[in-house]
Amino acid sequence: MPHVEVLPNSAATVAPGWTYVVDTGYDPSKVAINPKNKKRAAAAAPGGQRAEDELSARQQTAIARRIAELERDNDPKQLITVPGKSSVPKTQNARRIIQYQRQIKHWLDDEEAQMGQAATTSRGSVSHAGGRGATQALRRQSTFASVPATPVEATPGPATMAQTPTRLDNTFAEDALLSIDQNLPPPLNSAELEALLAAPPLSYAASHAAPPPAGGPPQRQFCDNCGYWGQIKCRKCGARVCGMECKDAHEATRCLKWA
Amino acid sequence: MPPKGAKKAAAATANKTLVLDNGAYTIKAGIVSTGATPTYDDCRVVPNCIARSTRDKCTYVGSELDGCRDFGELAFRRPVEKGFIVNWEAEKAIWEHELMGEAAGAWWRCDPTETNLVLTEKPNCPKELQKNCDEVVFEQFEFAAYYRCVGATLNAYHAPTAASSLASQSLPQECLLIVDTSYSDTTILPLYNGKLLQSAVRRLTVGGKLLTNYLKELSSLRHYNMMEETYLLNEIKEAVSYVVPSSQQFARDLERTWKGRVGDRRELDASIVVDYVLPDYENAIHGHARPHDAAKSRMRRGLQPLQGPREDLLPLGNERFAVPELLFNPSDIGIQEAGIPGAVMESLSVLPEALKVGLLANVVVVGGNSLIAGFMERLETELRALVPVGYLLNVTRADDAVKHTWLGGARFASEQERLREVLVTKAEYDERGSTWLVKRFS
Ligand SMILES: [Zn+2]
Ligand SMILES: [Zn+2]
Repeated sequence: MPHVEVLPNSAATVAPGWTYVVDTGYDPSKVAINPKNKKRAAAAAPGGQRAEDELSARQQTAIARRIAELERDNDPKQLITVPGKSSVPKTQNARRIIQYQRQIKHWLDDEEAQMGQAATTSRGSVSHAGGRGATQALRRQSTFASVPATPVEATPGPATMAQTPTRLDNTFAEDALLSIDQNLPPPLNSAELEALLAAPPLSYAASHAAPPPAGGPPQRQFCDNCGYWGQIKCRKCGARVCGMECKDAHEATRCLKWA
Repeated sequence: MPPKGAKKAAAATANKTLVLDNGAYTIKAGIVSTGATPTYDDCRVVPNCIARSTRDKCTYVGSELDGCRDFGELAFRRPVEKGFIVNWEAEKAIWEHELMGEAAGAWWRCDPTETNLVLTEKPNCPKELQKNCDEVVFEQFEFAAYYRCVGATLNAYHAPTAASSLASQSLPQECLLIVDTSYSDTTILPLYNGKLLQSAVRRLTVGGKLLTNYLKELSSLRHYNMMEETYLLNEIKEAVSYVVPSSQQFARDLERTWKGRVGDRRELDASIVVDYVLPDYENAIHGHARPHDAAKSRMRRGLQPLQGPREDLLPLGNERFAVPELLFNPSDIGIQEAGIPGAVMESLSVLPEALKVGLLANVVVVGGNSLIAGFMERLETELRALVPVGYLLNVTRADDAVKHTWLGGARFASEQERLREVLVTKAEYDERGSTWLVKRFS
């Protein structure tokens, strides 16, 4: 048998003091006239927008933590020792490298920190040729640079918290491509090609694809419990659910799990 | 004593080369002799992990996993994280076991001191990790000579699919756009004459690992706690996943797999919803899927028959298509990245027009996720919609999506002249050191 546990179906205990609402955008007037919710309405009325912002900031953190969890390669709690005898390290270098117990996160944080330093020192320098590579490499911060480190993962060194992505060259394809008619494209310019082939690699963080273009369809929202469309927003954690049944299950399981 | 190195260096390249496509999930490896014509059959695929079972108390290194009969609660230690070799203690043990030890068998085993190594890496690898890798290759394994490169570039050494046989084998394809959708992530890699156009490389966080972990999370939330069953959930993912052809079809399938509301129940569409019969690791090592049966499904909660085999069923509805959908819509779970087609267009947007035209005419997809039913159709449809009318778009999946990069590397390594140009010998390394080597390979 694989390890399977039947989960509690739904504990159906509603936490007092908060409710689910159909998500039609924030409407303070509705909150204010809701007689069941006087206390909350009073608290929410003056700083309604701020409460919304706080919810969304908390939700962003929760989303980032969850993604980090889904991205994990190894469980740091699992210690699996290498069985049998393997060869001894032959040089000091080899010994040092073989003994590293760091995770990828630590190496990537190091890389980011070094690039940050390089960018600071090269700023103000007139030389443009050298600086271009660094700018290019810095064009995008990692989406996950803002994941707050859990104690296990915390890396000593400069923290990169909650930086908004900066994009210097986000010319999304369309305009350039659409302007071309049926004519043949201009032949390759050899200087341009040389420059492209000589370009240094981007940093890992900078290599991530940009968010979908702003003009595209809005982000789809799903029920946190069953995966159907999520039309109702949990006011405690910002997750969506499809209806009352899944709302109960959500409260019993995942509400605020990654907060 | 300077002049000693140079001549010795040229002499020290061996005529056998270990081509090693060192993936996070599997190692693809094989020995190639100069002048040979390698095929997929020359490539061995080995799990790149050390696994430990808390149940049978056994530890499995690499291919030993083939002998495992109980995958329940199996824990994995993977030396490669996000595509890069991070843990050399584990990687060394696996290499020694699979490439130089007993497990390799006579055909595959190599003596590094008499063998060249062609080793692949993922793009955008931190320099410190590259340096570690080079140092271990020469100082610990003592390979005779070595070349490290981004794996995808080796795909340029396949003869083009519709090629005339006149094309010289030794020339790389001029324009080639590789989409590598594998375990760690998905990368978009435009190549010109076998060289990576670095500034246009793009990466999506979504890969096979994230899909498996996502399915594990959903199944654990909705049915059983399966958080320790990574092996099983990966198997289930491979068995039942499909990519919907369009977002309209996504919406339709989502309706057909919804339970409805209390008092307004809907019947689940058994053409989509399946019951996965979980293996019990006594009578069956592997599970299987079959069409959903509501009655049998109800029985699973404690109402098992007293006689006959006991069955544990995992019903799978929208998970079948909502999980792989992340490759096309990472934002479905809040990952702020475009899907694969958008990332391809973003990559091309920084390149000159003439290159775009050439690259779109030769898009080749490699990596295990491309094997998910419907993946290629969806990719082509969405790309077609983004590419301007009148552009030639050719999207193909490699004949063997998993071994293709290896075979490209093997073809590359079989031509002595070409290989000599890029190899660095142990003598050269000893003379010039690892900082020089990282520069040399970049
Ligand atoms: Zn629901
Ligand atoms: Zn909630």
